[in-house]
Amino acid sequence: MLVEEFGLTTDQVQPDSKLEELGVDSLATVEFMFMLEDRFHLKMTGEPVPIKTVGDIAHEVDVMVAQQGINLGDVS
Amino acid sequence: MRATEQIMPPMRVVVTGVGALTPMGEGADALVTGLETGRSAVRFLDVPWSGRLNSALAAPVLTPVESRFTKLRRLTLDRVAQLALLAGQEAIAQSGLELSGAAGLTCGLFWGTGMGGATTLEQAYQESLLDASARPRPTTIVAFMANGSTGQLGIEHQIRGPSFTYSSACSSSAVAIGEAFLAVRHGRVKTALAGGSEALLTLGVMKAWESLHTLAKPDDQDPSTSCRPFARDRSGFVLGEGAAAIVLESEASARERGATILAELVGYGNTTDAGHITQPDAGGQARAIQEALTMAGVRPDQVNAINAHGTGTLVGDVVETRAIKAVFGENASRIPISATKALHGHLMGASGAVELVVCLGALRRGIVPPTAHCFHPDPECDLDYVIEGARAVPNLDVMMSNSFGFGGNNAVLVARRYR
Repeated sequence: MLVEEFGLTTDQVQPDSKLEELGVDSLATVEFMFMLEDRFHLKMTGEPVPIKTVGDIAHEVDVMVAQQGINLGDVS
Repeated sequence: MRATEQIMPPMRVVVTGVGALTPMGEGADALVTGLETGRSAVRFLDVPWSGRLNSALAAPVLTPVESRFTKLRRLTLDRVAQLALLAGQEAIAQSGLELSGAAGLTCGLFWGTGMGGATTLEQAYQESLLDASARPRPTTIVAFMANGSTGQLGIEHQIRGPSFTYSSACSSSAVAIGEAFLAVRHGRVKTALAGGSEALLTLGVMKAWESLHTLAKPDDQDPSTSCRPFARDRSGFVLGEGAAAIVLESEASARERGATILAELVGYGNTTDAGHITQPDAGGQARAIQEALTMAGVRPDQVNAINAHGTGTLVGDVVETRAIKAVFGENASRIPISATKALHGHLMGASGAVELVVCLGALRRGIVPPTAHCFHPDPECDLDYVIEGARAVPNLDVMMSNSFGFGGNNAVLVARRYR
């Protein structure tokens, strides 16, 4: 989704890639979280979570998916 | 000691860069030469919601603006800021200013806009008001705020001196340039990026303008000629969008850098009618014109041409004609007056900057643009409006640009060929 929505390359988007270095600042990160919520029908907690890397985002989504019992196979 | 704490005589203020992205095309040259040919940028908008308007007549920017920015960058950029950035890039590039170092600390930013990020705001309202569960994008506020373009220009060019955002309807960017001129003239800043941008061709905004009954009635034969300033059959203006920017600096700064000096800005007048929120007042306009001339040290007989506010409204054009006569007296009838909104549309907050760029082009080329579509002159508007087409004016030396805004603000700029 980072590739699709923000025009980044797959080479750039690696688990340990730092968002700041990709040009994804805090505003863009929040924007991306909204996109994730819409795509995966998630509801982020709103609690501050330290998100620095692409992997941090993936982890946060995994946690939310597990907590909210979402089957990603149902996501179009 | 800060520059503002020093007492110094006024400095000469010169223009070293210009940029424009307008319905006439990309770049200041496209604007200036396009106007000379009399080509109109007015057309019917090709948008899905055009059927919801009485008339979708407008002057849009056809340059693919969005594609100049990455998706990531566009998150915080309304169309109005995209236009601003492109016009700003052209002006800064021409000036040769490099602001990332210490020079950025003494550069000011003066930007005008009538509505700011209208597209973003309208989208947020649509989503929020029509769907109770919808939520605006997190970047909505920063994209629509009035100073969005100003802030983005600062980031883009590392301009770190004072910054100001002006919103006085149709005179916004003329005020921005005028205030930048004063700031350079009196040593508050060494250099300045000034101008304005507007992008309000949205359904909600256009419908609101329709309700005000100031928009031109589309001509049956040729809609592109619908805006007819100073003509007997004029019926109003056509909304447009775009941006223009100029780089101002003290003559000393430009010489020190070895920059090419394009022209000199010599006068600025700014007055308030204090009469009516929309009806213009010849007295208020005349005071602004006189103030600009006085500051410029220019006599009425030394003004070689005027770019009129000339929107093509019934009242506005007559009032401006009276204001010009009041100041210029018997000289008024021998000054070529161009109303270029007939061709590039009314760019609202960006108008003043766009039309100053037109004046600078005219001074450089010795050619004033026409007032197009004045097929039937109005006896009440009896000055020389250059209705026959672009005109070469020998010894074109001093030009004035008028901008008058709703709210009763009048801003007048005077530019002179540099020598």
